[in-house]
Amino acid sequence: MSEKLGVRRLTHRFRIGDAAAPLVVLRDVELSVPRGRFVCIIGESGCGKSTLLRMMAGLLTPSEGQVLHDGVPVRGVNQALGFVFQQDAVFPWLTVERNVEYGPKARGVPKAERDRLVAQWCAAVGLGAFRKAYPKQLSGGMRKRVDLARAYANSPDVLLMDEPFAALDVQTKSTMQEEVLRLWESTQKTVVFVTHDLDEAVFLSDVVVVLASRPGRVHAIIENPLQRPRNEATRVGDAFAAAKRALWSALQSARAAGGAQPHSNPESVPS
Amino acid sequence: MTQDPDGALLPRRRFLQPSVVVGTLSLCAVVGLYWLVALLPGTHPALVPAPPTIVDTFVEQLRSGDLLVNTAASLERVLIGYLIGASLALVLGALAGWFRWWGWILNPIIDALRPIPALAYIPLVIVWIGIGEPSRIIIIALAVFKPCVVNARAGMQEVAQIYVDAARTLGASRWRVFTTVAVPSAIPYFIAGMRTGVSTGFLALVAAELIAAPSGLGFMIQNAGQYFRTDITIVGIIVIGVLGAFLDQVASRAGRALTAWSDTRREP
Repeated sequence: MSEKLGVRRLTHRFRIGDAAAPLVVLRDVELSVPRGRFVCIIGESGCGKSTLLRMMAGLLTPSEGQVLHDGVPVRGVNQALGFVFQQDAVFPWLTVERNVEYGPKARGVPKAERDRLVAQWCAAVGLGAFRKAYPKQLSGGMRKRVDLARAYANSPDVLLMDEPFAALDVQTKSTMQEEVLRLWESTQKTVVFVTHDLDEAVFLSDVVVVLASRPGRVHAIIENPLQRPRNEATRVGDAFAAAKRALWSALQSARAAGGAQPHSNPESVPS
Repeated sequence: MTQDPDGALLPRRRFLQPSVVVGTLSLCAVVGLYWLVALLPGTHPALVPAPPTIVDTFVEQLRSGDLLVNTAASLERVLIGYLIGASLALVLGALAGWFRWWGWILNPIIDALRPIPALAYIPLVIVWIGIGEPSRIIIIALAVFKPCVVNARAGMQEVAQIYVDAARTLGASRWRVFTTVAVPSAIPYFIAGMRTGVSTGFLALVAAELIAAPSGLGFMIQNAGQYFRTDITIVGIIVIGVLGAFLDQVASRAGRALTAWSDTRREP
Protein backbone atom coordinates (compact mmCIF):
# COMPACT_ATOMS: atom_id res chain seq x y z
CA MET A 1 0.00 0.00 0.00
CA SER A 2 1.40 3.39 -0.93
CA GLU A 3 2.31 5.96 1.67
CA LYS A 4 0.02 8.99 1.89
CA LEU A 5 1.69 10.80 4.78
CA GLY A 6 5.16 10.13 6.10
CA VAL A 7 6.96 11.40 9.18
CA ARG A 8 10.76 11.16 9.03
CA ARG A 9 13.06 11.40 12.05
CA LEU A 10 10.95 14.18 13.43
CA THR A 11 12.26 15.83 16.59
CA HIS A 12 10.81 18.87 18.27
CA ARG A 13 11.92 20.81 21.31
CA PHE A 14 10.96 24.08 22.82
CA ARG A 15 12.13 26.23 25.66
CA ILE A 16 9.84 26.77 28.62
CA GLY A 17 10.51 30.11 30.26
CA ASP A 18 14.27 30.48 30.72
CA ALA A 19 15.02 26.86 31.61
CA ALA A 20 18.57 25.97 30.56
CA ALA A 21 17.65 22.80 28.69
CA PRO A 22 14.89 22.85 26.08
CA LEU A 23 12.06 20.39 26.61
CA VAL A 24 12.06 17.60 24.05
CA VAL A 25 8.45 17.18 23.00
CA LEU A 26 8.99 14.61 20.25
CA ARG A 27 12.08 12.56 19.47
CA ASP A 28 12.91 10.67 16.29
CA VAL A 29 9.33 9.99 15.34
CA GLU A 30 8.97 7.76 12.28
CA LEU A 31 5.52 7.14 10.90
CA SER A 32 3.96 6.00 7.68
CA VAL A 33 0.28 6.51 6.99
CA PRO A 34 -0.86 4.36 4.05
CA ARG A 35 -3.42 5.70 1.58
CA GLY A 36 -7.05 5.18 2.53
CA ARG A 37 -6.46 3.90 6.03
CA PHE A 38 -7.86 5.09 9.32
CA VAL A 39 -4.95 5.65 11.71
CA CYS A 40 -5.42 6.57 15.36
CA ILE A 41 -2.66 8.09 17.43
CA ILE A 42 -3.03 7.43 21.12
CA GLY A 43 -0.98 8.29 24.19
CA GLU A 44 -1.33 9.82 27.61
CA SER A 45 -1.88 13.52 27.88
CA GLY A 46 1.26 15.54 27.26
CA CYS A 47 2.91 12.92 25.05
CA GLY A 48 3.01 15.29 22.10
CA LYS A 49 0.29 13.67 19.99
CA SER A 50 -1.44 16.97 19.21
CA THR A 51 1.91 18.58 18.42
CA LEU A 52 2.68 15.72 16.03
CA LEU A 53 -0.67 16.17 14.27
CA ARG A 54 -0.21 19.93 13.95
CA MET A 55 3.17 19.27 12.37
CA MET A 56 1.61 16.85 9.92
CA ALA A 57 -0.70 19.71 8.89
CA GLY A 58 2.18 22.16 8.65
CA LEU A 59 0.69 24.37 11.37
CA LEU A 60 3.93 23.89 13.34
CA THR A 61 7.44 23.44 12.00
CA PRO A 62 9.51 20.69 13.65
CA SER A 63 12.99 21.43 15.00
CA GLU A 64 14.36 18.55 12.94
CA GLY A 65 13.06 16.04 10.45
CA GLN A 66 10.23 16.39 8.02
CA VAL A 67 6.71 15.47 7.04
CA LEU A 68 6.09 14.03 3.57
CA HIS A 69 2.81 14.24 1.71
CA ASP A 70 2.79 11.89 -1.31
CA GLY A 71 6.57 11.85 -0.93
CA VAL A 72 6.89 15.65 -1.09
CA PRO A 73 8.20 17.49 1.99
CA VAL A 74 5.59 19.77 3.57
CA ARG A 75 6.55 23.42 4.04
CA GLY A 76 4.12 25.80 5.68
CA VAL A 77 0.44 25.02 6.15
CA ASN A 78 -0.52 22.10 3.91
CA GLN A 79 -3.76 23.30 2.37
CA ALA A 80 -4.44 19.97 0.70
CA LEU A 81 -5.31 18.48 4.09
CA GLY A 82 -8.38 18.98 6.24
CA PHE A 83 -8.07 19.59 9.97
CA VAL A 84 -10.73 19.16 12.61
CA PHE A 85 -9.73 20.78 15.88
CA GLN A 86 -10.50 19.80 19.45
CA GLN A 87 -11.84 23.27 20.22
CA ASP A 88 -14.85 24.78 18.56
CA ALA A 89 -13.41 26.16 15.32
CA VAL A 90 -16.66 26.86 13.46
CA PHE A 91 -16.74 30.55 12.49
CA PRO A 92 -19.45 32.07 14.72
CA TRP A 93 -20.03 35.03 12.37
CA LEU A 94 -21.03 32.79 9.44
CA THR A 95 -24.16 30.70 9.02
CA VAL A 96 -23.86 26.93 8.75
CA GLU A 97 -23.91 27.00 4.95
CA ARG A 98 -21.38 29.85 4.74
CA ASN A 99 -19.09 27.86 7.04
CA VAL A 100 -19.35 24.79 4.83
CA GLU A 101 -18.81 26.95 1.76
CA TYR A 102 -15.69 28.61 3.20
CA GLY A 103 -13.03 26.24 1.88
CA PRO A 104 -14.42 25.86 -1.67
CA LYS A 105 -14.86 29.64 -1.88
CA ALA A 106 -11.28 30.26 -0.74
CA ARG A 107 -10.16 27.91 -3.51
CA GLY A 108 -12.19 29.69 -6.15
CA VAL A 109 -14.73 26.95 -6.81
CA PRO A 110 -17.54 28.40 -9.00
CA LYS A 111 -20.82 29.36 -7.31
CA ALA A 112 -22.96 26.60 -8.80
CA GLU A 113 -20.51 23.92 -7.73
CA ARG A 114 -20.24 25.47 -4.25
CA ASP A 115 -24.02 25.37 -3.85
CA ARG A 116 -24.00 21.71 -4.79
CA LEU A 117 -21.22 20.96 -2.26
CA VAL A 118 -23.01 22.86 0.50
CA ALA A 119 -26.26 20.99 -0.14
CA GLN A 120 -24.46 17.64 -0.32
CA TRP A 121 -22.43 18.02 2.89
CA CYS A 122 -25.05 19.74 5.01
CA ALA A 123 -27.32 16.81 4.18
CA ALA A 124 -24.52 14.27 4.75
CA VAL A 125 -24.08 15.36 8.38
CA GLY A 126 -27.81 15.78 8.98
CA LEU A 127 -27.87 19.59 9.10
CA GLY A 128 -30.03 20.18 6.03
CA ALA A 129 -32.66 21.98 8.09
CA PHE A 130 -30.10 24.22 9.84
CA ARG A 131 -28.32 25.70 6.85
CA LYS A 132 -29.31 29.28 7.66
CA ALA A 133 -28.63 28.97 11.40
CA TYR A 134 -25.74 30.66 13.19
CA PRO A 135 -23.43 28.44 15.26
CA LYS A 136 -24.61 29.96 18.54
CA GLN A 137 -28.04 28.52 17.84
CA LEU A 138 -26.63 24.98 17.62
CA SER A 139 -25.59 22.46 20.25
CA GLY A 140 -21.96 21.40 20.68
CA GLY A 141 -22.56 18.17 18.78
CA MET A 142 -24.20 20.00 15.89
CA ARG A 143 -21.32 22.45 15.70
CA LYS A 144 -18.94 19.50 15.39
CA ARG A 145 -21.05 18.27 12.48
CA VAL A 146 -20.63 21.66 10.83
CA ASP A 147 -16.89 21.33 11.40
CA LEU A 148 -16.87 17.89 9.76
CA ALA A 149 -19.00 19.04 6.82
CA ARG A 150 -16.75 22.07 6.35
CA ALA A 151 -13.65 19.85 6.26
CA TYR A 152 -15.19 17.30 3.87
CA ALA A 153 -16.76 19.89 1.54
CA ASN A 154 -13.24 21.08 0.82
CA SER A 155 -12.38 17.62 -0.59
CA PRO A 156 -9.17 17.29 1.39
CA ASP A 157 -6.67 14.64 0.42
CA VAL A 158 -6.25 13.55 4.06
CA LEU A 159 -8.25 14.39 7.18
CA LEU A 160 -6.43 15.13 10.40
CA MET A 161 -8.57 15.14 13.53
CA ASP A 162 -7.29 16.29 16.89
CA GLU A 163 -9.51 14.79 19.63
CA PRO A 164 -12.50 16.32 17.87
CA PHE A 165 -15.09 14.80 20.20
CA ALA A 166 -13.28 15.21 23.52
CA ALA A 167 -15.66 17.95 24.66
CA LEU A 168 -18.88 16.09 23.80
CA ASP A 169 -21.06 14.01 26.10
CA VAL A 170 -20.87 10.20 25.83
CA GLN A 171 -24.07 9.82 23.82
CA THR A 172 -23.23 12.51 21.26
CA LYS A 173 -19.68 11.26 21.09
CA SER A 174 -20.64 7.74 20.01
CA THR A 175 -23.10 9.11 17.44
CA MET A 176 -20.35 11.29 16.02
CA GLN A 177 -17.95 8.36 15.89
CA GLU A 178 -20.41 6.40 13.79
CA GLU A 179 -20.83 9.48 11.61
CA VAL A 180 -17.07 9.67 11.04
CA LEU A 181 -16.89 5.98 10.18
CA ARG A 182 -19.73 6.37 7.70
CA LEU A 183 -18.04 9.37 6.05
CA TRP A 184 -14.72 7.54 5.94
CA GLU A 185 -16.29 4.44 4.40
CA SER A 186 -18.12 6.47 1.75
CA THR A 187 -15.16 8.68 0.78
CA GLN A 188 -12.20 6.35 1.32
CA LYS A 189 -10.14 9.35 2.45
CA THR A 190 -7.11 8.73 4.62
CA VAL A 191 -7.76 9.78 8.23
CA VAL A 192 -5.31 10.43 11.06
CA PHE A 193 -7.21 10.72 14.32
CA VAL A 194 -5.65 11.71 17.63
CA THR A 195 -7.39 10.58 20.81
CA HIS A 196 -6.70 9.51 24.37
CA ASP A 197 -9.86 7.43 24.47
CA LEU A 198 -9.25 3.67 24.10
CA ASP A 199 -12.80 2.87 23.04
CA GLU A 200 -12.69 5.54 20.38
CA ALA A 201 -9.40 4.24 18.97
CA VAL A 202 -10.63 0.63 18.88
CA PHE A 203 -13.97 1.54 17.33
CA LEU A 204 -12.55 3.74 14.55
CA SER A 205 -9.07 2.59 13.57
CA ASP A 206 -7.36 0.21 11.19
CA VAL A 207 -4.04 0.90 12.88
CA VAL A 208 -3.22 2.43 16.25
CA VAL A 209 0.04 4.27 16.88
CA VAL A 210 0.88 4.24 20.59
CA LEU A 211 3.11 7.09 21.75
CA ALA A 212 5.28 7.03 24.88
CA SER A 213 5.90 10.35 26.55
CA ARG A 214 8.82 12.52 27.67
CA PRO A 215 10.06 12.71 25.09
CA GLY A 216 7.18 11.73 22.84
CA ARG A 217 8.12 8.83 20.61
CA VAL A 218 6.50 5.92 18.84
CA HIS A 219 6.20 3.04 21.29
CA ALA A 220 4.17 0.55 19.29
CA ILE A 221 2.15 0.29 16.11
CA ILE A 222 -0.79 -2.07 16.48
CA GLU A 223 -3.02 -3.48 13.75
CA ASN A 224 -6.63 -3.37 14.91
CA PRO A 225 -8.10 -6.87 14.36
CA LEU A 226 -11.70 -5.66 14.72
CA GLN A 227 -13.76 -6.48 11.62
CA ARG A 228 -15.65 -3.97 9.51
CA PRO A 229 -18.32 -2.81 9.05
CA ARG A 230 -18.69 -1.73 12.66
CA ASN A 231 -21.80 -0.44 14.36
CA GLU A 232 -23.26 0.20 17.80
CA ALA A 233 -23.37 -3.56 18.53
CA THR A 234 -19.66 -3.88 17.80
CA ARG A 235 -18.91 -1.99 21.00
CA VAL A 236 -20.31 -4.72 23.25
CA GLY A 237 -18.84 -7.71 21.40
CA ASP A 238 -16.02 -9.94 22.65
CA ALA A 239 -13.79 -8.96 19.74
CA PHE A 240 -14.05 -5.32 20.81
CA ALA A 241 -13.09 -6.18 24.39
CA ALA A 242 -10.12 -8.23 23.20
CA ALA A 243 -8.87 -5.47 20.91
CA LYS A 244 -9.29 -2.95 23.69
CA ARG A 245 -7.37 -5.19 26.10
CA ALA A 246 -4.46 -5.48 23.66
CA LEU A 247 -4.38 -1.73 23.22
CA TRP A 248 -4.58 -1.19 26.95
CA SER A 249 -1.52 -3.37 27.54
CA ALA A 250 0.40 -1.46 24.88
CA LEU A 251 -0.55 1.80 26.57
CA GLN A 252 0.54 0.42 29.95
CA SER A 253 3.95 -0.55 28.66
CA ALA A 254 4.24 2.85 26.95
CA ARG A 255 3.48 4.45 30.28
CA ALA A 256 6.19 2.37 31.96
CA ALA A 257 8.67 3.29 29.24
CA GLY A 258 7.84 6.99 29.30
CA GLY A 259 8.62 9.61 31.82
CA ALA A 260 12.05 8.20 32.64
CA GLN A 261 13.77 11.35 31.48
CA PRO A 262 11.60 14.33 32.29
CA HIS A 263 13.07 17.58 30.89
CA SER A 264 15.97 15.85 29.19
CA ASN A 265 17.77 17.32 26.25
CA PRO A 266 18.79 15.11 23.37
CA GLU A 267 22.48 15.06 24.29
CA SER A 268 21.86 13.55 27.71
CA VAL A 269 19.37 10.95 26.56
CA PRO A 270 20.87 7.49 26.09
CA SER A 271 19.54 6.14 22.84
CA MET B 1 -45.61 35.98 23.54
CA THR B 2 -43.41 37.50 20.84
CA GLN B 3 -40.52 36.22 18.78
CA ASP B 4 -37.04 37.59 19.16
CA PRO B 5 -34.60 37.63 16.23
CA ASP B 6 -33.18 34.28 17.27
CA GLY B 7 -36.60 32.71 16.97
CA ALA B 8 -36.92 32.07 20.69
CA LEU B 9 -40.19 32.77 22.41
CA LEU B 10 -39.94 35.57 24.91
CA PRO B 11 -42.47 37.11 27.26
CA ARG B 12 -43.91 40.30 25.74
CA ARG B 13 -41.88 43.38 26.65
CA ARG B 14 -43.76 45.35 29.27
CA PHE B 15 -43.95 49.09 28.74
CA LEU B 16 -43.11 49.83 32.37
CA GLN B 17 -39.86 47.98 32.67
CA PRO B 18 -38.05 48.49 35.99
CA SER B 19 -35.00 49.88 34.17
CA VAL B 20 -37.12 52.54 32.43
CA VAL B 21 -38.97 53.50 35.63
CA VAL B 22 -35.84 53.81 37.75
CA GLY B 23 -33.98 55.64 34.98
CA THR B 24 -36.77 58.21 34.61
CA LEU B 25 -36.98 58.75 38.36
CA SER B 26 -33.26 59.31 38.57
CA LEU B 27 -33.39 61.94 35.80
CA CYS B 28 -36.35 63.64 37.50
CA ALA B 29 -34.41 63.78 40.74
CA VAL B 30 -31.59 65.70 39.05
CA VAL B 31 -34.04 68.18 37.50
CA GLY B 32 -35.87 68.53 40.83
CA LEU B 33 -32.65 69.26 42.67
CA TYR B 34 -31.73 71.91 40.10
CA TRP B 35 -35.20 73.43 40.42
CA LEU B 36 -34.82 73.64 44.20
CA VAL B 37 -31.56 75.54 43.80
CA ALA B 38 -33.20 77.89 41.29
CA LEU B 39 -35.95 78.66 43.80
CA LEU B 40 -33.60 79.36 46.70
CA PRO B 41 -33.86 82.96 47.92
CA GLY B 42 -30.94 85.02 46.62
CA THR B 43 -30.57 83.01 43.40
CA HIS B 44 -30.70 85.27 40.36
CA PRO B 45 -33.40 83.96 37.94
CA ALA B 46 -31.40 85.08 34.88
CA LEU B 47 -28.30 83.14 35.97
CA VAL B 48 -30.08 80.04 37.26
CA PRO B 49 -33.30 79.92 35.21
CA ALA B 50 -36.02 77.64 36.53
CA PRO B 51 -37.09 74.70 34.29
CA PRO B 52 -40.26 76.45 32.97
CA THR B 53 -38.11 79.33 31.69
CA ILE B 54 -35.81 76.85 29.96
CA VAL B 55 -38.79 75.20 28.29
CA ASP B 56 -40.04 78.61 27.13
CA THR B 57 -36.61 79.44 25.72
CA PHE B 58 -36.51 76.11 23.93
CA VAL B 59 -39.84 76.81 22.25
CA GLU B 60 -38.77 80.33 21.34
CA GLN B 61 -35.50 79.09 19.87
CA LEU B 62 -37.39 76.49 17.86
CA ARG B 63 -39.83 79.09 16.52
CA SER B 64 -37.16 81.55 15.48
CA GLY B 65 -35.38 78.79 13.60
CA ASP B 66 -32.05 79.47 15.35
CA LEU B 67 -32.02 76.14 17.09
CA LEU B 68 -32.59 74.19 13.88
CA VAL B 69 -29.93 76.12 11.96
CA ASN B 70 -27.39 75.60 14.74
CA THR B 71 -28.25 71.94 15.20
CA ALA B 72 -28.01 71.26 11.47
CA ALA B 73 -24.64 73.01 11.27
CA SER B 74 -23.28 71.00 14.20
CA LEU B 75 -24.66 67.70 12.97
CA GLU B 76 -23.11 68.21 9.55
CA ARG B 77 -19.71 68.93 11.10
CA VAL B 78 -19.88 65.96 13.44
CA LEU B 79 -20.99 63.57 10.70
CA ILE B 80 -18.29 64.61 8.21
CA GLY B 81 -15.58 64.63 10.89
CA TYR B 82 -16.81 61.34 12.26
CA LEU B 83 -16.86 59.59 8.89
CA ILE B 84 -13.33 60.74 8.07
CA GLY B 85 -11.89 59.99 11.52
CA ALA B 86 -13.62 56.65 12.02
CA SER B 87 -12.99 55.19 8.57
CA LEU B 88 -9.30 56.14 8.61
CA ALA B 89 -8.98 54.74 12.13
CA LEU B 90 -10.66 51.43 11.35
CA VAL B 91 -8.53 50.81 8.27
CA LEU B 92 -5.24 51.81 9.91
CA GLY B 93 -6.06 50.13 13.24
CA ALA B 94 -7.00 46.88 11.52
CA LEU B 95 -3.79 46.85 9.46
CA ALA B 96 -1.62 47.79 12.46
CA GLY B 97 -3.17 45.11 14.65
CA TRP B 98 -2.86 42.34 12.09
CA PHE B 99 0.10 42.64 9.76
CA ARG B 100 3.53 42.67 11.36
CA TRP B 101 4.95 45.26 8.99
CA TRP B 102 2.00 47.60 9.31
CA GLY B 103 2.29 47.24 13.07
CA TRP B 104 5.95 48.19 13.01
CA ILE B 105 5.15 51.24 10.92
CA LEU B 106 1.95 52.41 12.63
CA ASN B 107 2.19 51.33 16.27
CA PRO B 108 4.73 53.97 17.36
CA ILE B 109 2.59 56.68 15.77
CA ILE B 110 -0.63 55.41 17.34
CA ASP B 111 0.99 55.06 20.75
CA ALA B 112 2.55 58.51 20.53
CA LEU B 113 -0.82 60.07 19.65
CA ARG B 114 -2.68 58.16 22.35
CA PRO B 115 -2.02 60.38 25.39
CA ILE B 116 -2.57 63.67 23.50
CA PRO B 117 -6.08 65.13 23.83
CA ALA B 118 -7.47 66.15 20.43
CA LEU B 119 -8.13 69.64 21.78
CA ALA B 120 -4.40 70.20 22.17
CA TYR B 121 -4.14 70.33 18.38
CA ILE B 122 -6.49 73.30 18.10
CA PRO B 123 -3.80 76.03 18.12
CA LEU B 124 -1.73 74.10 15.57
CA VAL B 125 -4.68 73.45 13.30
CA ILE B 126 -5.65 77.14 13.42
CA VAL B 127 -2.14 78.24 12.51
CA TRP B 128 -1.76 75.70 9.75
CA ILE B 129 -5.23 75.48 8.27
CA GLY B 130 -6.91 78.67 9.44
CA ILE B 131 -10.21 79.26 11.21
CA GLY B 132 -12.55 77.94 8.53
CA GLU B 133 -14.76 74.89 8.37
CA PRO B 134 -11.93 72.46 7.44
CA SER B 135 -10.19 73.17 10.77
CA ARG B 136 -13.29 72.32 12.76
CA ILE B 137 -13.79 69.09 10.84
CA ILE B 138 -10.15 68.10 11.27
CA ILE B 139 -10.35 68.56 15.03
CA ILE B 140 -13.49 66.43 15.26
CA ALA B 141 -11.91 63.78 13.01
CA LEU B 142 -8.82 63.68 15.24
CA ALA B 143 -10.97 63.27 18.35
CA VAL B 144 -12.93 60.41 16.76
CA PHE B 145 -9.81 58.79 15.32
CA LYS B 146 -8.12 58.01 18.64
CA PRO B 147 -10.63 55.68 20.37
CA CYS B 148 -11.48 54.03 17.04
CA VAL B 149 -7.89 53.24 16.11
CA VAL B 150 -6.98 51.93 19.56
CA ASN B 151 -10.03 49.66 19.72
CA ALA B 152 -9.67 48.41 16.16
CA ARG B 153 -6.05 47.47 16.79
CA ALA B 154 -6.90 45.73 20.07
CA GLY B 155 -9.68 43.77 18.36
CA MET B 156 -7.33 42.47 15.70
CA GLN B 157 -4.81 41.41 18.33
CA GLU B 158 -7.49 39.41 20.16
CA VAL B 159 -8.54 37.28 17.18
CA ALA B 160 -8.56 33.65 18.31
CA GLN B 161 -5.73 31.62 16.76
CA ILE B 162 -8.03 28.64 16.27
CA TYR B 163 -10.06 30.50 13.60
CA VAL B 164 -6.89 31.56 11.82
CA ASP B 165 -5.58 27.98 11.80
CA ALA B 166 -8.94 26.67 10.60
CA ALA B 167 -9.06 29.17 7.73
CA ARG B 168 -5.44 28.45 6.75
CA THR B 169 -6.02 24.69 6.60
CA LEU B 170 -9.18 25.32 4.55
CA GLY B 171 -7.06 26.99 1.88
CA ALA B 172 -7.39 30.71 2.68
CA SER B 173 -4.54 33.02 1.69
CA ARG B 174 -3.12 35.42 4.27
CA TRP B 175 -5.11 38.31 2.80
CA ARG B 176 -8.26 36.20 2.83
CA VAL B 177 -7.70 35.33 6.48
CA PHE B 178 -7.47 39.06 7.16
CA THR B 179 -10.69 39.96 5.37
CA THR B 180 -12.82 36.92 6.21
CA VAL B 181 -11.60 35.94 9.68
CA ALA B 182 -9.73 38.73 11.45
CA VAL B 183 -11.98 41.64 10.49
CA PRO B 184 -15.33 39.92 11.17
CA SER B 185 -14.23 38.53 14.50
CA ALA B 186 -12.93 41.97 15.56
CA ILE B 187 -16.19 43.76 14.70
CA PRO B 188 -17.38 43.94 18.34
CA TYR B 189 -14.21 45.93 19.09
CA PHE B 190 -14.77 48.17 16.08
CA ILE B 191 -18.26 48.96 17.37
CA ALA B 192 -16.96 49.72 20.87
CA GLY B 193 -14.46 52.17 19.39
CA MET B 194 -17.07 53.78 17.17
CA ARG B 195 -19.41 54.29 20.13
CA THR B 196 -16.68 55.96 22.15
CA GLY B 197 -15.95 58.00 19.03
CA VAL B 198 -19.48 59.42 19.08
CA SER B 199 -18.94 60.95 22.51
CA THR B 200 -15.39 62.18 21.88
CA GLY B 201 -16.63 63.64 18.59
CA PHE B 202 -19.30 65.68 20.37
CA LEU B 203 -16.75 66.74 22.96
CA ALA B 204 -14.53 68.10 20.23
CA LEU B 205 -17.48 69.67 18.40
CA VAL B 206 -18.13 72.25 21.09
CA ALA B 207 -14.44 73.08 21.36
CA ALA B 208 -14.08 73.28 17.57
CA GLU B 209 -17.01 75.69 17.33
CA LEU B 210 -15.26 78.03 19.74
CA ILE B 211 -12.99 78.79 16.77
CA ALA B 212 -14.94 81.69 15.30
CA ALA B 213 -17.78 79.49 14.12
CA PRO B 214 -20.66 81.35 12.45
CA SER B 215 -23.20 78.79 13.64
CA GLY B 216 -23.57 75.56 15.55
CA LEU B 217 -24.58 74.41 19.01
CA GLY B 218 -21.14 75.15 20.45
CA PHE B 219 -21.33 78.65 18.98
CA MET B 220 -24.84 79.08 20.38
CA ILE B 221 -23.76 78.07 23.89
CA GLN B 222 -20.68 80.25 23.83
CA ASN B 223 -22.46 83.26 22.35
CA ALA B 224 -25.35 83.06 24.83
CA GLY B 225 -22.92 82.82 27.71
CA GLN B 226 -21.34 86.12 26.71
CA TYR B 227 -24.76 87.83 26.97
CA PHE B 228 -25.64 86.07 30.24
CA ARG B 229 -28.39 84.16 28.44
CA THR B 230 -27.90 81.12 30.68
CA ASP B 231 -31.28 79.75 29.55
CA ILE B 232 -30.09 79.48 25.94
CA THR B 233 -26.82 77.89 27.06
CA ILE B 234 -28.75 75.26 29.00
CA VAL B 235 -31.04 74.56 26.03
CA GLY B 236 -27.92 74.08 23.87
CA ILE B 237 -26.37 71.72 26.40
CA ILE B 238 -29.52 69.63 26.60
CA VAL B 239 -29.81 69.41 22.82
CA ILE B 240 -26.19 68.26 22.57
CA GLY B 241 -26.83 65.65 25.25
CA VAL B 242 -29.95 64.33 23.55
CA LEU B 243 -28.31 64.28 20.10
CA GLY B 244 -25.26 62.49 21.45
CA ALA B 245 -27.36 59.88 23.23
CA PHE B 246 -29.44 59.40 20.08
CA LEU B 247 -26.39 58.90 17.85
CA ASP B 248 -24.89 56.52 20.42
CA GLN B 249 -28.10 54.48 20.24
CA VAL B 250 -27.90 54.45 16.45
CA ALA B 251 -24.29 53.21 16.62
CA SER B 252 -25.18 50.63 19.25
CA ARG B 253 -28.15 49.28 17.27
CA ALA B 254 -26.12 49.14 14.07
CA GLY B 255 -23.44 47.31 16.03
CA ARG B 256 -25.92 44.83 17.45
CA ALA B 257 -27.25 44.10 13.98
CA LEU B 258 -23.72 43.49 12.72
CA THR B 259 -22.85 41.19 15.61
CA ALA B 260 -26.10 39.25 15.79
CA TRP B 261 -23.99 36.11 15.49
CA SER B 262 -22.20 36.79 18.77
CA ASP B 263 -23.42 34.96 21.87
CA THR B 264 -21.98 37.48 24.29
CA ARG B 265 -24.16 39.55 26.60
CA ARG B 266 -26.14 42.12 24.68
CA GLU B 267 -26.69 44.92 27.14
CA PRO B 268 -23.67 46.65 28.63
